[in-house]
Amino acid sequence: MAPPPPRRGLSAWRRARRVVLLAAAICLIPAAISFLSAVREPHNVGLGVTSVEWMRAHGGNGIVSQIENWYYTLTAPAKGGAPLKALPQVGVASAETGAKPAYRPPRIKPLIHPALPGEGVWKPAAAHAGGRPPVLLTTFRSDPEYPQFVAGVAWIDSARTHLAYVPGLAEPPEIEHRGPAEVPSRLRDRVAATFNGGFPLETSNAGLIYRGQVVEAMVNGIATLVEYRDGRIDIVRWEHGEAGSGHVWFAKQNLPPIIYAGKLNPNLSDGPEWGETVNNAVRVWRSGLGIDRRGNLIYAAANYQTVGSLAEILRRAGAVRALELDINEDWTTFISYRHPGAGEPSNLLPEMFRPDTRYLTPDERDFFSVYVRPGQGW
Amino acid sequence: MSGSSRQLPAAARRRALAIDLLAAAAIAAVAIALAAGVGVLGFVALPVLLVGLVWLGLEALARRLRARRQLN
Repeated sequence: MAPPPPRRGLSAWRRARRVVLLAAAICLIPAAISFLSAVREPHNVGLGVTSVEWMRAHGGNGIVSQIENWYYTLTAPAKGGAPLKALPQVGVASAETGAKPAYRPPRIKPLIHPALPGEGVWKPAAAHAGGRPPVLLTTFRSDPEYPQFVAGVAWIDSARTHLAYVPGLAEPPEIEHRGPAEVPSRLRDRVAATFNGGFPLETSNAGLIYRGQVVEAMVNGIATLVEYRDGRIDIVRWEHGEAGSGHVWFAKQNLPPIIYAGKLNPNLSDGPEWGETVNNAVRVWRSGLGIDRRGNLIYAAANYQTVGSLAEILRRAGAVRALELDINEDWTTFISYRHPGAGEPSNLLPEMFRPDTRYLTPDERDFFSVYVRPGQGW
Repeated sequence: MSGSSRQLPAAARRRALAIDLLAAAAIAAVAIALAAGVGVLGFVALPVLLVGLVWLGLEALARRLRARRQLN
């Protein structure tokens, strides 16, 4: 029997292919180790979101943002469409208490006529809030060109409430006194509302002060939600350098102000100052926080918003200074609680993607809690 | 003929594989050093590896089908 013909070696291009595949396999080793350790950490989001967040945090933020830009541009809504017949119900009907009426913000003037029942009318978030509810809610159609868009807005009485910054499980990445990453049990009797924070520090080009300590160097010119040691809350354009002053208890920065001195930022269209994320003109879930002339906070969120249209919503609701908060459906959340003890939580808008128990379990990202001040009844 | 002047095919294959492995390790080291992070590395390497493996699988399948046709 003749011996089998000797096997020829691989051709040059096949060897090149083998080298490329081996190199790819070697590159995957550190990536896989990092990814698996990230997946094994505690989460309250799905694997898809965890993977995207891991990608963002490990050098892939530009890639993720570009893909998001393409996706949201391709799925952008068309103008027009059938008019809405009703708005989502928010809050509870006001009960007459006979008490001296307290200040309430004026109704948000509807943009589309005829107005729908309850459009722009403030309602208490809590069931037995009395004559001076700490949190009021409303909805309105925010864009005549897109009559199906509904914005959810919350007004927070700064005199009756205390705002707290709560670090999440993973954001900010490095922090002392991280805490439980949820509304602490001992404070649930007083929690009136909770809402999402800003961009992750890595993508916001901004700083953070927590419990008076600088977690990330502050940046001048950036919009900052600040709580002073005396309990006062404000939204300012930061001008106090990287460390700030000793009067600050917490300060969370996020991008340049979108409203300042009652006027929209003239550079809302786009630019590198708006963080490493989807561009400003892309329509996506967005949220923002403003402050009115009396120092009360105004939160707004809606789907399919540009930064410009979000700023318009906040200005129409009465904000004179405002910053953008987090964006995308996975991160945009405002929850109010109808009863003390975090009872009967309710999302501001029914389309909000995350469950209304989001902040009653440890959450990935930092957020804000609104507590009724001690001694102030519901 | 002495062993030094003519390598056995198996030994030659092993040597080629070792050289390729070294080249791949060098390329990977450069990629790891230059990449913005392991996220980018994974984003590029995973599809490359998957496409390559599918390609190899299709080639093997085609070889088998050819061999079977020749037998018939």
